[in-house]
Amino acid sequence: MAERIDLAIIVLVLIGIIVSSGTMVYTTTVVGNLSTLTSDVSTLTGNVLNLTSTIGDFTTITLEAIVSLEARLAAMEAALAKVTLAKKTLVVGTTDSVEKTLDPAQAYDYFGWCILQQIAGTLVSVKPGSETGADFVPELAVSWNYSEDLDVWDFNLRQGVTFWDGTEFNATHVKYSFDRAIALIPSIPEGAPAGLGYDVIINRTEVLDTYKVRFQLNFPFSPFLGILACRASAIVNPNYAPIEEVEYTAGDPRASTPVAFVGPYFLSEWKRVAGRDIEIKLDANPFYWNATGEYPKTEHVIFRFYSDPSTLRLAVEAGDVDIAFRHISPTDVLDLEGKPNVKVWWGTGAFIQYLCFQTKRAPFNDRRVRVAVAAALDRSTVCETVFLGLSDPLYSIIPPGMLGHTEAFKKLGDANYTLTRSLLADAGYNETNKLKFDLWYESSGHYPMSAEQCLVYKEALEASGVIDVTLKSADWASYKKNRDDEIMDAYIYGWYPDYVDPDDYAFLYWASWIHTNYYNATQVALYDQARATTNTTLREELYAQIDDIAVEQCSVVPLYVSSAWAVTRPDVYGIYLDITQDMRYWLIYIGK
Amino acid sequence: MGLRSYIITRILLTIPTLLLLLSMVFLVMRVLPGDPVALHFEKKATPEQMETMRRLLGLDKPLWTQYIDYLWGLVDFGYFLEHGYPNLGKSMQTYEEVGGQIFSAFPATLELAIYSMIIASVIGILLGVVSSKSYNSILDHLIRGFGTVTYAIPIFLLGMIFQLIFGVYLRWLPTGLRLNPAVDPPASITGLYTIDSLLEGNLFKFFESLKALLLPSLTLGIILSGMFIRMARTNMLETLRLDFVTAAKARGLKESTVTYGYALRNAFLPILTMMGLQFAILLGGAILTETTFSWPGLGRYIVDRINFRDYTAIQGAVVMFGLFVTLVSLVVDILYAYFDPRIRL
Repeated sequence: MAERIDLAIIVLVLIGIIVSSGTMVYTTTVVGNLSTLTSDVSTLTGNVLNLTSTIGDFTTITLEAIVSLEARLAAMEAALAKVTLAKKTLVVGTTDSVEKTLDPAQAYDYFGWCILQQIAGTLVSVKPGSETGADFVPELAVSWNYSEDLDVWDFNLRQGVTFWDGTEFNATHVKYSFDRAIALIPSIPEGAPAGLGYDVIINRTEVLDTYKVRFQLNFPFSPFLGILACRASAIVNPNYAPIEEVEYTAGDPRASTPVAFVGPYFLSEWKRVAGRDIEIKLDANPFYWNATGEYPKTEHVIFRFYSDPSTLRLAVEAGDVDIAFRHISPTDVLDLEGKPNVKVWWGTGAFIQYLCFQTKRAPFNDRRVRVAVAAALDRSTVCETVFLGLSDPLYSIIPPGMLGHTEAFKKLGDANYTLTRSLLADAGYNETNKLKFDLWYESSGHYPMSAEQCLVYKEALEASGVIDVTLKSADWASYKKNRDDEIMDAYIYGWYPDYVDPDDYAFLYWASWIHTNYYNATQVALYDQARATTNTTLREELYAQIDDIAVEQCSVVPLYVSSAWAVTRPDVYGIYLDITQDMRYWLIYIGK
Repeated sequence: MGLRSYIITRILLTIPTLLLLLSMVFLVMRVLPGDPVALHFEKKATPEQMETMRRLLGLDKPLWTQYIDYLWGLVDFGYFLEHGYPNLGKSMQTYEEVGGQIFSAFPATLELAIYSMIIASVIGILLGVVSSKSYNSILDHLIRGFGTVTYAIPIFLLGMIFQLIFGVYLRWLPTGLRLNPAVDPPASITGLYTIDSLLEGNLFKFFESLKALLLPSLTLGIILSGMFIRMARTNMLETLRLDFVTAAKARGLKESTVTYGYALRNAFLPILTMMGLQFAILLGGAILTETTFSWPGLGRYIVDRINFRDYTAIQGAVVMFGLFVTLVSLVVDILYAYFDPRIRL
């Protein structure tokens, strides 16, 4: 009897699961259909009422009214044609999240800047698809010029741009935005203006007339347009951006950011749970200065936030999102490439990683030892086996495509054990007395595939027969502490540019915050000279000289530069994955 | 000791427990390598900027001052009345109120925990009882096998299998998130989307919430059921061998009445303890499930905050977690004491 009851329970549980699943799916479909039906009925009712009203108006119809009606119909037809061509909403999946805020005086993270780029306006921007990152196009400024010694920059501003509250954009807003960014540096030391040194670069901002503004710099600075194109230079609306520090938070879009309603989109929803984004919605900005150019191409953008790259991959494969951007793993993106239901987009990367040596003590206080280790590295194997070909070996701290990129470190070769043995022999190391050191990497996922990279480096270095490497790791917080405490012999670090210019890379060879304790006055002088000229040939020469010294000294050794990729539905268009690493959502659309 | 005195004693004991827990977390976090100040600067930072940030975060004060400040915040009833949650300080990374952050993530965790526990209990107890009844039969082996597999299978693996089948291939259910972003969440009353959508009278939202909830709760429920199956089976086997069961059978009671009416009731106490503790653990966040399904709950929050060495947030989360465990243990103990008067002796 009891067995029968048990069997009956199991059968009932199974039937229950099947029936409830079926019912749920069916009911969801029915409810969805009902919802659509209700919406259709409501639209129909509205149309009937309009028709009734129009019929009523026929009694007083005039020629002007007919002309007006025709114009409205034509506009409606045009709008309808646009709607049938492009889907109105773009759903984006990402594992990113805004770190803290959408205030340009504070935001300094990739995704925060990404959202700011969609909703804010800068004076200039980099042309989509730019190969060098140096093709600047007008945004809120229409033209510009600079003094011969590059410390005075004048900008003529676009007229007729309005903020949401009707305030017309003019030179005072530019001055206010930069004055505010600098004024907030002491209270927001972690913000981008502090990190980029706005207070060091900019002496003052002057209003020359209503639509003309001047930046007086403290020194000649040729990459200034790059600084102006980054999101820390977004123009704020003074009515919503007091000079005092303000806590912009999720919630009411107007209270979330001081920049809304200047860019192609405005932030219509921003919800966070436990310090992470769970919903961001952007809607087309009706006040956008380039709205007549039919931008943005898609009316709404919704971001869906995933916590894991594998889940994001499944989401784009399942069609839950139209675009998956940052971060799908190299293995997943290669696997997705051949699938018919998705399209993979490839682009230039600007993220680099490099090996740092602690030069204040043995063994790396000896230049020969640093060069010997640099010569024994095997970048190609790392790029092929660890990154599956989705990154490229890097032989200069300035990535390919950018002005000043060289192949300087190729002089040392890859896995060049002859040079390694010879230099280490000079320094007193050999097969019986091997060079021993700790190679550190970050273990909490702050940098991609760190452990795997270091295993390959260790293998290559030890293949020389004269080097013995001990791998050590620490999570990001401890890793930074170790760096500052200068306890690591050799360590892998990474860099993501703030503005696309060699000026934002070359200094890494001697940057004090990397704590290699390396400084070279000649390199610094060359760097300052390159900053002070717009002559690209001269700049290239100067950066090449910096690289040459870097190869001799090997305080920091470039390792690889990443690629960029995005995965979308097959019918998504308008994606530019260029050297800026910016995703310009206002150019993206679905359909032909 | 009467039941009332027992309850009062247990409640009073939670205060030193929580204080001890808080002190330990407070100290351990500060001993851990890694500086929350440095983590604010992804790139370069001057010593002056570091110092300013240290001051802004309140880390320039002596340790004991920080500790007292923190405790003082916890007993700030004015703050509690104003915000609806205790003053757990501000996050050192995002500058948001930690109490607000925890309470914004808690409903998601609670909803997942409730549904998972229902699934785990139903599957676990029923199969455990059936297994014990069919001791050493094929059915018993099958159920034990199921229990062992579900106990051993990594949660993210089962989650991803479900995502592949129901999300990618069948496209019946979403692969992750709490609700389709195209659907507005129901007005927050309880914070549980399924309940709130029903209270709002919106069946569409209810089914959308249920669709999103189904895969994570099924994954977690099935994984937990393995433990419950083993527990229920072992306890039932022991109980079924007791004299009172034989006596009941001898008196001619129905087999089903004896099994489900008498034996299960007696075998239920240890299962109840396990359920209570498991539920309390789930309230602290199911880290792997939440990560696999991008579920915005407390599990993800704690991992995020630890990576950022966000002292205040971690302290807050641990205090809340300690509170959940203590409360649930208290409820279980009270139930235990109610069911088994020997405990109060």
